[in-house]
Amino acid sequence: MTERGFADVAIEAAHAFRVIMQAMARPGRVLDIGADVRAPAPLLPSAAAVALTLCDFQTPVWLSPQLDDERIVHYLRFHAGAPLVAEPQAAQFIFATSADLPPQLGLLQQGTHDYPDRSATLVIQVAGFVPGAVELSGPGIRGRESFGVVGLDGAFWMAMAENHARFPVGIDVIFAAPGQLAAVPRSTAIRMLESA
Amino acid sequence: MNAPAYNFAYLNEQTKRMIRRAILKAIAIPGYQAPFASREMPMPYGWGTGGVQVTASVLTPEDTLKVIDQGADDTTNAVSIRKFFVKTAGVATTEKTEEASVIQTRHRIPETPLTEDQILVFQVPIPEPLRFLEPRETETRTMHALEEYGVMHVKLYEDIAQYGEIATTYAYPARVAERYVFDPSPIPKFDNPKLDGCPALQLFGAGREKRIYAVPPYTRVKSLDFEDHPFEVQRWDQSCALCGTRESFLDEIVMDDHGTRMFVCSDTDFCAKTRGER
Repeated sequence: MTERGFADVAIEAAHAFRVIMQAMARPGRVLDIGADVRAPAPLLPSAAAVALTLCDFQTPVWLSPQLDDERIVHYLRFHAGAPLVAEPQAAQFIFATSADLPPQLGLLQQGTHDYPDRSATLVIQVAGFVPGAVELSGPGIRGRESFGVVGLDGAFWMAMAENHARFPVGIDVIFAAPGQLAAVPRSTAIRMLESA
Repeated sequence: MNAPAYNFAYLNEQTKRMIRRAILKAIAIPGYQAPFASREMPMPYGWGTGGVQVTASVLTPEDTLKVIDQGADDTTNAVSIRKFFVKTAGVATTEKTEEASVIQTRHRIPETPLTEDQILVFQVPIPEPLRFLEPRETETRTMHALEEYGVMHVKLYEDIAQYGEIATTYAYPARVAERYVFDPSPIPKFDNPKLDGCPALQLFGAGREKRIYAVPPYTRVKSLDFEDHPFEVQRWDQSCALCGTRESFLDEIVMDDHGTRMFVCSDTDFCAKTRGER
């Protein structure tokens, strides 16, 4: 049987969106996601809240191999009605875990210089957050913010720095941990703090 | 018990998802005008349908909403939008800037400094700052893509050549995070410095023109100017006739047929607070 999703769609989606929006507006800040939502493992409820708040029949979704589970597929089809695509390049929303990211972030939809908003949003399931890997600066950040994610190494942050270099085109990333969210949009400049 | 007559905050969930996706991309690309599928609202274009759709998409039941029109809480546009959200979202409302978690505004930024816990939603009539210089959307889009803003500086220069100063007094163009030139909506240029480094998230909705854009918190917003003609805000010789302040934006009110005039704060809440009436 499919998990129920949001307890009350209009209210819980509003709660979830406020957290997602504040996370995107304040890069690197870790926020608690209070929305009442259930999801089939291994899809985290926090990632499911992002999916049910933002995805529908207009947004092609790609699931990484670890998340490409029959129950998750059914859950997203039932609650969001989102078309699932076979290639990450074709997706507007990409759901992956920190262990099986799509190989090249630069191949995801970047938008165009005329329409930079036509770009992918990457949602990465992570175990948690540990500051100290990178220093973030840019819109939404007062001064600088130390940030880091469990299970994401220097190669990932190098790719994110390249993503920022392509601004205004590029992808935006939401990190979904158990009960928490953070985001790093393309507008955020990234400086490595440790050699990985 | 009757079932509620409206979905929470009026809009259906698919519309909110579409608007929410546009808001996130607008935040990720500060100052860029993200297109969205603006809906018909139960009020005419020009009454803040863009702002209303953005507010409806960010509102939660726990919010306290303030709505102002030219700084005032008690004008028709502000009252009707406030009532709209009381009816459709059941949210608490306030006239006090510091009590509000979401503030929808037409043409002003409150005098009371905003905080990180607040969201400011602007109603925007014409989102494209280059529109009166280049009417073709295809061209202005390319100009933004190429960061080609020379024409705007020519316009400001022509002001100086004709009037001796930059004559633009409202909807004064500014550059967001050193990239996109944007129209801060028809706020007086007096309010432009408040856009810069503001701790609150600022969202802009244009309903008829179907665009959403954003200035994230603590983002550099630089009003366009020249080294020898730096950006300046309006100043008055008068102080507010009601509260006596010299710090706020003043409205000039004609009192009779003999030319008697009175200058009062445009921000009614700020004026009442300064007078100690609340």
